[in-house]
Amino acid sequence: MEVKLDKQYPLDVDATRAWALLTDLKAVASCMPGAEITEQLSDTSYKGAVKVKVGPAVAQFGGTVDVLEALAAERKMVLRGKGADKGGSSASMDLTAIITADPANPAHCVLNGQAAVIVNGKFAQFGGRMMVQVSDMLLAQFVENFRQTALTLPTATGAASTPSAAKVSAPVVAREINGLAIFWALVKSWLGGLFSKRG
Amino acid sequence: MNAPVQTVEARELALAGMGASRLRKEDARFIQGKGNYVDDIKMPGMLHMDIVRSPIAHGRIVKINKAAALAIPGVHAVLTADDLKPLKLHWMPTLAGDVAAVLADEKVHFQMQEVAIVIADDRYIAADAVEAVEVEYEELPVVMDPYAALQPGAPVIRDDLAGKTEGAHGKRDHHNHIFTWDAGDKSAADAAFAKAEVTVSQHMYYPRVHPCPLETCGCVASFDPVKGDLTTYITSQAPHIVRTVVSMLSGIPESKVRIVSPDIGGGFGNKVPIYPGYVCAIVSSIVLGRPVKWVEDRIENISSTGFARDYHMDGELAATADGKITGLRVNVIADHGAFDACADPTKFPAGMFHIVSGSYDIPAAHASVKGVYTNKAPGGVAYRCSFRVTEAVYLIERMVDVLAQKLGMDKAEIRAKNFVKKSQFPYTSAFGFEYDSGDYQTALDKVLKAVDYKGLRAEQKAKRADPNSPTLMGIGLVTFTEVVGAGPSKMCDILGVGMFDSCEIRIHPTGSAIARMGTITQGQGHQTTYAQIIATELGIPSEVIQVEEGDTSTAPYGLGTYGSRSTPVAGAAIALAARKIHAKARKIAAHMLEVNENDLDWEVDRFKVKGDDSKFKTMADVAWQAYHQPPDGLEPGLEAVHYYDPPNFTFPFGIYLCVVDIDRATGETKVRRFYALDDCGTRINPMIIDGQIHGGLTEGFAVAMGQQMPFDAQGNLLGNTLMDYFLPTFVETPHWETDHTVTPSPHHPLGAKGVAESPHVGSIPTFTSAVVDAFSHLGVTHLDMPHNAFRTWKALRKHGAAL
Repeated sequence: MEVKLDKQYPLDVDATRAWALLTDLKAVASCMPGAEITEQLSDTSYKGAVKVKVGPAVAQFGGTVDVLEALAAERKMVLRGKGADKGGSSASMDLTAIITADPANPAHCVLNGQAAVIVNGKFAQFGGRMMVQVSDMLLAQFVENFRQTALTLPTATGAASTPSAAKVSAPVVAREINGLAIFWALVKSWLGGLFSKRG
Repeated sequence: MNAPVQTVEARELALAGMGASRLRKEDARFIQGKGNYVDDIKMPGMLHMDIVRSPIAHGRIVKINKAAALAIPGVHAVLTADDLKPLKLHWMPTLAGDVAAVLADEKVHFQMQEVAIVIADDRYIAADAVEAVEVEYEELPVVMDPYAALQPGAPVIRDDLAGKTEGAHGKRDHHNHIFTWDAGDKSAADAAFAKAEVTVSQHMYYPRVHPCPLETCGCVASFDPVKGDLTTYITSQAPHIVRTVVSMLSGIPESKVRIVSPDIGGGFGNKVPIYPGYVCAIVSSIVLGRPVKWVEDRIENISSTGFARDYHMDGELAATADGKITGLRVNVIADHGAFDACADPTKFPAGMFHIVSGSYDIPAAHASVKGVYTNKAPGGVAYRCSFRVTEAVYLIERMVDVLAQKLGMDKAEIRAKNFVKKSQFPYTSAFGFEYDSGDYQTALDKVLKAVDYKGLRAEQKAKRADPNSPTLMGIGLVTFTEVVGAGPSKMCDILGVGMFDSCEIRIHPTGSAIARMGTITQGQGHQTTYAQIIATELGIPSEVIQVEEGDTSTAPYGLGTYGSRSTPVAGAAIALAARKIHAKARKIAAHMLEVNENDLDWEVDRFKVKGDDSKFKTMADVAWQAYHQPPDGLEPGLEAVHYYDPPNFTFPFGIYLCVVDIDRATGETKVRRFYALDDCGTRINPMIIDGQIHGGLTEGFAVAMGQQMPFDAQGNLLGNTLMDYFLPTFVETPHWETDHTVTPSPHHPLGAKGVAESPHVGSIPTFTSAVVDAFSHLGVTHLDMPHNAFRTWKALRKHGAAL
């Protein structure tokens, strides 16, 4: 099952710091709920794991992430991730992420992500029709984590931006994918959609 | 004897023989939960098997690590193809002349393919151990579309066939090509098209569906290492063929192999093939010397066992301007999945698809079917139909509608114009089938009158004239002919065994009887109907006749129950075995009454001396005499065996009409009326016939309106649970009206033709005909199944008919 994603997330972070974070793969991975880099295999190759919890069942994906391209001039990163769990599911993702500066506001930027995600096995069979919604949710959590982490980085002038720093001190987003939480968030967004349509 | 004098009618009624709506003898145990299915069987020391399956559709197996699974307490063995290799059991022959992997050998070819098995103390440990077996795959490009599979550069699905240009059914011209099969006369058909006044063509896809019986497949294999014999309880529609195959594969003499099909919870073709799970359970029992049970779950059943259909069809009709069909051409791309595991008679790789000329007198016809490998599960079984007859009937019935639409003719009128006439029977079709009997026009007239066809058309016209009508109304009509009762052994065999069937009847001294059969009931009610045939033939009440099937150690060899062959083939064997007994009984009765045989008349349950009603001997009297003091020169006992090799197929037919109302806002289709007239020749038990028709119509409704096996481009099956796969319950099922005419088969001893599959075969195109009819005024000639609300809603939007 293949899902194509093409997303733009405006961030209240300047392009330089966002790019700095994007090139730190370990830090980026930790922004993804449930994901972590466990081992660096080479300059461009990493081993990682993603843990998904749905009720009492835990699925653990293990796999690799390769940096195919990292162009500082364009602030463009191309990644390929591949993984499988022991229970008979596998997934792969080709991701292109670009940071574009916001010409109107130098303190802001836009994170552009294009991804092709292929999921096989039980995940595709049982979760197939929720893939897009779940991906949207996960990405929203990721972007929020990314934003908060980027804000803690020192700016070109040497200081973390103060207004948001307070928020960052208490991490608000779960770092593990929890199926029930996803389900609840899905229901909320579906209800939201329902009412906004009528409104 | 001073027994009260009974009228002939009363005695006939007491027999509950042919024609009686006798209650099903099987139901007493089923409704009390006392059936004995494979999963009910428990044996001392029995172990449980579960299967590790491939999560991907195509790939190489890099490594299998069993260590973690073997470390789990209670696990006895983990076996892979490498373990079966020394026994040469890692591959097995299919019924279609191909081979199939028992456990994936270096490569997986479809999602959920069997990769390894685990044997453990109980089912739970086995399931846990399956999760602990680590398999590493290298993924290969996946081919799901049969047209793409035939492209020059398409990935090779079957590495094991590299270099093989000759298949079981002739030349292979591509690495993913299985066979090309032709029927009819191509040049005659082409000539008909060349000079046709009108031609129509239509592409249609008959989706991949699954028979999905309520009971999934499974077995309990028990090898006795001391005696060296093997007993296997198995969900099989053809236990004798299983015995032959198991003996051939294992090397155990057939006399030491006992296969038992106990109660079977529905088969519908799904339980004809021999599955890797059976072979693995048998091997495990031989290796471990203990009984091994394997029962698959629902997801495994839908994902990996015999699917049906998956035919991409192109039909063409040539006709005169006034609607007389002059030619038919059909081209099919048949998606067989990764192994060719159809269960057709050997010489017919597309089954009886050449019944595709239908009920119509078409002078020139040609059909070509091309079988193709893809990365899907193998199968191609006959889902409640004779081999590929459902596909054929769908095509011709759709094409006749398309032609009618082009000519602006009425559906009923164009059919009547092209029917094979009553006077033409026996009729030889352009494909060479000899239709035994039929009277299509009488049946059609009966249906049109019963539903007030003219009134329905008038109502439809009024609705179409009203732009605010909330519904679109459609009328579907199908006038189909089926070919069942495979089959004459000069044409039909399975693995070289002719498709006869058999019956052994023993009359006991006190006048009750037992019959043993080569078939096996899966819900058809054989124990009820077979006894009724014997009751009428021999004058013994059906109540005291036991029918036994399914145990190869006691039953005579037979080819089993599928393709509506039980009544046409085994039913004839019963009648002829009974007639052998009857002939002997007549001799005994003549001896008892001290008259010549020719001076006896047979009347319901007795031989009586011509002209003297007081001098008679009942069959019970004769039975006692046969064991007590048979006449000189006659062997004691009263029994017979008959193996019946049918001279021809039988050709049941039906006229089905359906009225639907499609909600223009939601796309929901409501079946307002469904009228099914069936002609299955002589009717043995009208109540069971009605039940069979209800069941077949319901399964037809399921296929037409909802069943599908959706795959994504990576080969993931996205609908393999009953949350997704449509099994109608009484909530969704429409009301069925049934009717009949009786046109007996002239070559069958009873005149019976078989009925259980007609309603499935006939109803599916009727639903499509009705749904398309609702759109026909918008220029729509065809809509592919399933006609679920979403797809129909999309069609409404596309053609500007949505509200």
